[in-house]
Amino acid sequence: MILQKRLMVCASALGLMAGTAMPATAAPWVRGYVVGQYEYAFRYGGRADFTRGAEIEPGVDCPHGASTHFANDVNTKIAVQRQKFRSQQEIDWISRPPGLDQVRAPVLTRFHIWNRAVAYRGYKRGIETYVNPWAAEDPGQPQVTSRIGDGFNLDGKVKAADFVSPDGEKGVDNNLYRAWGCDAPWRGNGNATLDLRANDKMQDGLYTMVIRVSGNKDPMNDDNATLEIGYSPDKLVKDARGGIAVDYSYRILSTSQYTKLKAKIKNGVVETEQVEHLHSPRIAWFYDQTGDTNFSKGKVRLNMSPDGLSATGLLAGYRDWRELYTENTFAQDGGQQGIREHEDHVSLYYALRRNADGMYNPKTGKNDGISSVYRLKLASAYVVDPQDPKMEVPKLALDEERMQAFLAIKANTIKGAETRVPQPVPPGTTEAAVGSFEHDIADLPSKDFFIKTLDRPHYANEDKDGIPPWMRRRRGTVAPTPPAATPAKPQNQVQADTPTKVAAAEKQ
Amino acid sequence: MNRMMAIGFGAAAFCALAGSSFAADPAPAAPGTQASVAPAPAAPVADLPMVPPAKPGVFTATKKGATGYHLVVAGHKFTSRDDIEKYLAWRAADLTLSDKGTWFTFTQIRTKADTVPVPKRDPGAPRHSFQMANFQPVWRYKVKGADWKSWSPYSGAAFFADGIKAEDITDFEASADVVVRKGVMDDADPLGYEAGAVSDLLINQVSPPV
Repeated sequence: MILQKRLMVCASALGLMAGTAMPATAAPWVRGYVVGQYEYAFRYGGRADFTRGAEIEPGVDCPHGASTHFANDVNTKIAVQRQKFRSQQEIDWISRPPGLDQVRAPVLTRFHIWNRAVAYRGYKRGIETYVNPWAAEDPGQPQVTSRIGDGFNLDGKVKAADFVSPDGEKGVDNNLYRAWGCDAPWRGNGNATLDLRANDKMQDGLYTMVIRVSGNKDPMNDDNATLEIGYSPDKLVKDARGGIAVDYSYRILSTSQYTKLKAKIKNGVVETEQVEHLHSPRIAWFYDQTGDTNFSKGKVRLNMSPDGLSATGLLAGYRDWRELYTENTFAQDGGQQGIREHEDHVSLYYALRRNADGMYNPKTGKNDGISSVYRLKLASAYVVDPQDPKMEVPKLALDEERMQAFLAIKANTIKGAETRVPQPVPPGTTEAAVGSFEHDIADLPSKDFFIKTLDRPHYANEDKDGIPPWMRRRRGTVAPTPPAATPAKPQNQVQADTPTKVAAAEKQ
Repeated sequence: MNRMMAIGFGAAAFCALAGSSFAADPAPAAPGTQASVAPAPAAPVADLPMVPPAKPGVFTATKKGATGYHLVVAGHKFTSRDDIEKYLAWRAADLTLSDKGTWFTFTQIRTKADTVPVPKRDPGAPRHSFQMANFQPVWRYKVKGADWKSWSPYSGAAFFADGIKAEDITDFEASADVVVRKGVMDDADPLGYEAGAVSDLLINQVSPPV
């Protein structure tokens, strides 16, 4: 009996030893994830309940707190008095519009006046500032002074100004954090307004991003793994608590937003190779901003939980800084976002420009790229191939007009910066509060002064109030133009044949 | 024969072009010497902005140390302080780019009598690619029937031309000391100027004084 017991213990021990010594699963494996949170990898260093004078949450990242552009009439006055073409009356009236106490919506009225005014801060009247930021003086931007930052050593060098990662890795390149880390809508302890907005829109179906990791050894240790990152046409599924539901199926499209990378996994940390071009979906909160990140010298690091249910990660590389500028500025219009979020895109333009540290352009002698790191939080999912391998990213027909306007204003902005010839605002945008200003300040006693004094772009076929055709359509005063083609609505229909079974087995 | 003539004319035309091109090139000045410096040749692309060349004697750049310059813009027809100082700033940016620099620092020429505070460095304050308000050259000027006088922006006194008719100013000089620098700019330096950004802002605004 005792011998039998000892034999059993011995056999069990041998079994256990064999289990640990041998690879857990020396067979093909797949782990899939859907991205539930996607944001710039900025480290917050403030205290959410602390302010000092006019400083908002000063901290180790930003000693004087987050940016406060246009936060009040004093700051707006500073911004508009830099233009020598303005009269003192214009400066005073813009910052504190007379008669505000007599209107139904004083905050909104002031908002529109500021929006139109700050959209024209060039060296002379008539130059729209957000399309031509280089033609305006640099208002200045608080920048990150902390030495600790998330990311990778992208250039293989350890430079004096590089960040040190929280784990102690030196030479971390994340100049986007340095340039924009104190910008109010991106700085916060999980509560930065544009972080929240972008994640909210992504979770509500604006776009979906998936990652698939596969290999042939152990999912937690595999020196010959593959990581795929890309766009999914399937809307992200939430659970009953508003979190990301696990183990739903998502297609991954082999489109312009897709990259396949070699990777090594050690103790659950997936480290990909660095590739010349890393394509993935962009951070976006409007359809017009969506598209490909196109990181240069990009790479991914994921930290997978052993149970396979979640992961965190970083996605990094150099991004064209002019693209970053346009993506952040023209989701709606520069003035609207700037005033609402207390950021100034002219300041952000110059901050990107002087912190550009990669993608050297031998023709111009300048860096076209800025090292950028995005943070990912992922939930497990079944990531599968679509039935049609050539399936494209679906288009939102009703938003295509705005997408085209976004692309046009982006092109004009880059052309202006390259040629130093001021460019006009193309049709289709709301820059300078076109389409809303005249209507929304209608009951202000001093409205005639502002309508007469403040610049705005003009277009063909404006109505008597100066409303261009696309704004009449958006306001519903004329019938909408039917979309050229109605793309098929993406559905959660997947071909869940082969890849899912291994992933399912793995998670048990 | 015709071919020989054509080659001859071609060579002559080339020499003429080369001559004018060399004359327009910035002449590097030896330390302590003065040279009249023309703007760097603009890209030969139609419709791109270009600052008209200055007449001889309007702009001089005197080497001062390894990478420093003493810059002077001189003229006889005073337009405005803003016009002249912006032209000088553009020349500083242009010179920096010609020297393969990325940014320059402006050195304030102060005396003990100056009362205007020195801009302070604050790493936590907003960073800038440039602050035009801190680009403050010192001036010399002559008013009809009087000798040269000087004016410093750090003295606290009103600008010399305030209250004087522009046509009464017969001569003026605005001067600045700058140091050309390479690499990443120190954007916490209130007297630091990113040359490319300054050039972009000013290229459509400036022309040399006469």
